[in-house]
Amino acid sequence: MSDTAEAAPAAPAGPAPGPTRAQGVTERLRRPRTYAVLAGSLLLLALPFYLDRFWLQAGLFAMAAAIGAIGLNMLTGATGQLSMGHAFFLAVGAYGYCVLAGESSTENGHTLTGLGLPTWLAAVLAVLLAGAAGGLFSPIAGRLRGAYLGIATLALIFIGQHVLFNAGSLTGGYNGRAVPPLSLFGFTFDDTELVVAAVPFGSSEKLWYAGLAALLLSALFARGVLRGRPGRAMNAIRDHRIAAGVMGVPVARYRAGVFVLSSMYAGLAGVLLALVFQRTVPEYFGMILSLEYLAMIVIGGLGSVAGAVIGAAFVSLLPQVFTHYSDSLPLVSAPGTGGLAPGEASRYLYGAAVVAVVLFLPGGLARLGLARTKKPKAPKKPGLPKQPAAPMQPAAPKNPGEKS
Amino acid sequence: MTTTATASAHSTTAALAVQDVTVRFSGLTALDGVSFTVEPGSVHAVIGPNGAGKSTCFNVLSGVYRATSGHVRLGDTELTGLPPHVIADLGVARTFQNLALPPHATVADSLLLGRHRLTRSGFVATGLRLPSAAREERRHRDRVREIAAFIGLDKELERPAGSLPYGQQKLVELGRALCMEPKVLLLDEPIAGMTADERRRTAAVVADVRDSLGISIVLVEHDMGVVMRLADAVTVLDFGRRIAGGTPAEVQNDPAVVQAYLGAPQ
Repeated sequence: MSDTAEAAPAAPAGPAPGPTRAQGVTERLRRPRTYAVLAGSLLLLALPFYLDRFWLQAGLFAMAAAIGAIGLNMLTGATGQLSMGHAFFLAVGAYGYCVLAGESSTENGHTLTGLGLPTWLAAVLAVLLAGAAGGLFSPIAGRLRGAYLGIATLALIFIGQHVLFNAGSLTGGYNGRAVPPLSLFGFTFDDTELVVAAVPFGSSEKLWYAGLAALLLSALFARGVLRGRPGRAMNAIRDHRIAAGVMGVPVARYRAGVFVLSSMYAGLAGVLLALVFQRTVPEYFGMILSLEYLAMIVIGGLGSVAGAVIGAAFVSLLPQVFTHYSDSLPLVSAPGTGGLAPGEASRYLYGAAVVAVVLFLPGGLARLGLARTKKPKAPKKPGLPKQPAAPMQPAAPKNPGEKS
Repeated sequence: MTTTATASAHSTTAALAVQDVTVRFSGLTALDGVSFTVEPGSVHAVIGPNGAGKSTCFNVLSGVYRATSGHVRLGDTELTGLPPHVIADLGVARTFQNLALPPHATVADSLLLGRHRLTRSGFVATGLRLPSAAREERRHRDRVREIAAFIGLDKELERPAGSLPYGQQKLVELGRALCMEPKVLLLDEPIAGMTADERRRTAAVVADVRDSLGISIVLVEHDMGVVMRLADAVTVLDFGRRIAGGTPAEVQNDPAVVQAYLGAPQ
């Protein structure tokens, strides 16, 4: 059936791809957005030459957060599956990298296990490890929907914290363990001085480019998924679960698959975070971190890559900005002096931002730019009266048998 | 369209047989030993007063509910107990009484969801933008355009489904089901809530689907005018039981049907 049906339209289909592609390029050249993107990427590439270590670290931090948020946005934003366990998979990535790449040593009274693999291989394996951890949880992730999954994934946080604090030989216990610097094709992303155009390049400057590349690739991958066949199936599961099944989407398998994919994104974010921090500490990977990631995608915009990136930048840069300018900001005092610490202040602020976004900007910050460029024309057919049955909110068939 | 018509005519030789299906929800019997057969390429209407079990029947046919006992067969294939996506894969498509369309997705994207079972690209292929995924997408977008033209929505493809009038949204749902290239199409009140003009158009589309695509159609509808005009056979349900069946003319004159709709004479 499918073969015959598919083969049929193939003949009249296939308008020569050449001219359409060329048209696409010229049209793209006319849009101001193309130039904005171009200028933005040039700026990002030039930043390490001008910014000091503090801001580069903040930027790297935001990139790692963005990668993690993209993963969570595919799961929570696009598929409607709440996850509180994102911090757990970040930890799997970060610690996985440390264990796989690190050498066995003794530190703070812990005998640390390390496999001493090449660091690039360790990074790849750490991402796969996070995916495997997601895969172990996927029988649960496939069966539970929405908020129920959120509650189940809470368990991961508590298990994760317990293991991180107590499996001393792997994690280094309370004080964590040092992160071996990444080395790629003989180039090591560490603090050995390298002067580029009279600017000394330390680990932050070097990692900046690795982070940008990782973010770009993960964003492009996610965009491809979200705009393609899996993305449509994921959105269908979020919007109308029963209808999705009836359309031929294997709901449980998709939920499980997206969960694994999002854990891999979290794993990659964890690896990058570890490389930036140069030390992993268990306390960081707690529930607050999971909540921060949820705040990112809500503030930025659920279900889109741009939303995740914008939200991640907002949530992770805000505390840094506050810390840096704490002496010149009213009400905010330097950390440790009593009063409102910068971290707390920024938490209040993005708490308020979450509420404001939910109330006034349901599409998130990403919608602000989009609303102007993509306003659907509203051609109303004059002859058709508006239907009274509130067509804008199709009732989800939660109880498909309600009528009978 | 002609190519598909011949393509489906070959494959649509399977009858949909419902045998003795009973559905109980903890004490409430929603369907009680219902049997009927949908002949290939015909329009079979299921009618009955509110609460007669029509939607339950649809939910059993599409796998959303599991029958407590009884069988549903498509040709030689047993559908009873299969999950919805497997039943969809076998060529059973349905629409919902209340719209089940994402309001923000474009009409084209909604229709493309219907192609899910006919397409293969997964996470890796679409994420890496492999040429195979791009080719598949292009081919199916072309087919979606054809189907949209068939139901008269080709002008609205790039608009969000939620911005269309209600009647057209129902048409989009019908189109999405057609995009699955089904053998059997289950339509749950396809013209409810439509204006007279939209009703006429939709009824014409439904008749066209049967005549030119050869798809069997099971129709639940309250508009008796449309049912009597479109249906080749009618099954009447009341309180979960089949009380009558036959051609529209036979059913119209059946005293049990008149009684179910108007009440018993005193």
